[in-house]
Amino acid sequence: MVEIKNLTKYYGSHPAVLDISFTVGDHEVLGFLGPNGAGKSTTMNMITGCLPATSGTVLVDGYDIAKDPMEVKRRIGYLPELPPVYPDMRVRDYLNFAAGLKRVPRGERKKQVEDAMERLKITDVQRRIIGNLSKGYRQRVGFAMALLGSPKFLILDEPTVGLDPTQVIEVRHLIQDLSRDHTIIFSTHILAEVTAVCERVVIINKGQIRAVDTIANIEASVSGDLRLKMKVEGEIMKVTNIIKGTQGVQEIEEVEYDSVGVNSFTVRVASDDVRKPLMSALLAEDCMVLEIASEKASLEEAFVKLTAPTAKQSSAEAFEALGREMDAAREAEEAAAAEESRSDADAAGEPKKTEQAAESAGAPAQKSGRGKQKKGGKH
Amino acid sequence: MFSLYKKEVQSYFLSPFAYVVSALFLMVFSLFFINGISDMNSNVLKFSFSNIFYNNFFYFIFMIPLLTMRTFAEERKSHTETLWLSAPISIAQVVIAKYLAVVTVFLLMLVLTLFFPLVAWWHGSVIVPSMLCGYLGFFLWGLVCIAIGMMMSALTDNPILAAVLGEGAMIVVIFLDNFTKTALVQSMPAVAKVFEWFSTEQRFGVFSQGLFSLSDLVFFLSLSAVVLVWTVIIIEKRRWSRG
Repeated sequence: MVEIKNLTKYYGSHPAVLDISFTVGDHEVLGFLGPNGAGKSTTMNMITGCLPATSGTVLVDGYDIAKDPMEVKRRIGYLPELPPVYPDMRVRDYLNFAAGLKRVPRGERKKQVEDAMERLKITDVQRRIIGNLSKGYRQRVGFAMALLGSPKFLILDEPTVGLDPTQVIEVRHLIQDLSRDHTIIFSTHILAEVTAVCERVVIINKGQIRAVDTIANIEASVSGDLRLKMKVEGEIMKVTNIIKGTQGVQEIEEVEYDSVGVNSFTVRVASDDVRKPLMSALLAEDCMVLEIASEKASLEEAFVKLTAPTAKQSSAEAFEALGREMDAAREAEEAAAAEESRSDADAAGEPKKTEQAAESAGAPAQKSGRGKQKKGGKH
Repeated sequence: MFSLYKKEVQSYFLSPFAYVVSALFLMVFSLFFINGISDMNSNVLKFSFSNIFYNNFFYFIFMIPLLTMRTFAEERKSHTETLWLSAPISIAQVVIAKYLAVVTVFLLMLVLTLFFPLVAWWHGSVIVPSMLCGYLGFFLWGLVCIAIGMMMSALTDNPILAAVLGEGAMIVVIFLDNFTKTALVQSMPAVAKVFEWFSTEQRFGVFSQGLFSLSDLVFFLSLSAVVLVWTVIIIEKRRWSRG
């Protein structure tokens, strides 16, 4: 078991990793997710003892990396981001050397090296000089090195970087295969990899943990609700009102201009059952539904949300504000049309709001304008 | 530790590096040998090698850094140090293994020069105690230089810079003696005294005269050990501030 408690690393005054805690159980595959520069490599370097932590502890099978580094290092196989291979050595010599460095007993070395080469499919290049190998092969040599000494824990820092698509799939299978006898922590920024291989993920950004959970739970927690993506032909205001008026619709999240008179709506709904009444309501008002699809939150979305919470929030807020302004603009318009004869004093209170609203409602107004244009063309 | 030592020694001989450096060393050595022979007047029938060593160790300043420059700088540059940082081996063990590897290469270079005493012995006679002590002194001096060169290599991630730094440091160590003899330093007896403690050339001089001095032996060995400990500290320190 690997227990990480309040792990922190400062580079000067800049925190690279801030107060990280999580545990990895035996025979588990843990995905370590984060954008570039999130602190993934730093954390992995600290777990393997390459980098001392500013504060916090890493316990591997009960041994503290700061107090018993030898015991910890014996249990860990580490593949760093850049495979630590000597370009002037031959593959086999390098692996023999690494096996010696990892204190593999002399008698077992040959077998272990051969097994590792077999697993990584590098037996055919064993006599070649590492410097002449391609990036993908070097990566595999580094991976083979990590397997030597049959460590209980494997820590792989972006193991699939630089591999071609077939090799990526091979490595994924290898990780799955290895997870039977090893505990694996591997970092990546490729989400498909995580979904394919891990049960549990840690999402980290700017040195802080955003989520530690199973993939299913993270997907569910980010948005438990469903979204409908629908392409509707019809006047934008009318369609918006119909959608909003349907029971079960929570919010229109996004309206996108698709083609003349056609807009895509992303609608947050309570359940899939809303589809039927929504469709019939739209059809009853002569709005043609061209496409409809329900969409679940993916890990990708969770990742984007969790790693950029501030940006996402502000854009959501901005959208809400836009919606409010649109409503205000419409109300103001209606009010202006109906009560043209009203006194100037009454209007004096309003113009500021109207102006502002009209300004911000500029884009949607244009869209609806185009919609009208098309309708005009049809008739 | 042994596997690291073995790999280090191998890496010198797998590339043309060690061969070129030893060839250069032997060339310089033979030039001084010829020079020494031709300088002898007819009255002198015995040949002492200490003179050769005296001249030679200036060249030696430029050769030891060539051997040591890659030890740590290259590993840092090519990110291979993570291999031994994550392996169950301590930094002290790494430093010792690498040190012993360079010492082995240096020793092999010295063994090759035994050809010259053999030639001299064949056609004349050699002052054996003087020669042996000369070799010993030269070897001990080399131990200190190798340690200094490795320390310089641990300071940077650029092998060339490590070589230049090593040369600078060794020039300081060699010319410390000359510097101590200047009027400026001599006018400050306390300072001169401290410099003298660290003067290596004087101690080498003792060996080259065919004398074996235990205190000087201890000096060379302990100075190497101190420099190696610094090297360990430098690497440890860098590990903390890496990023």
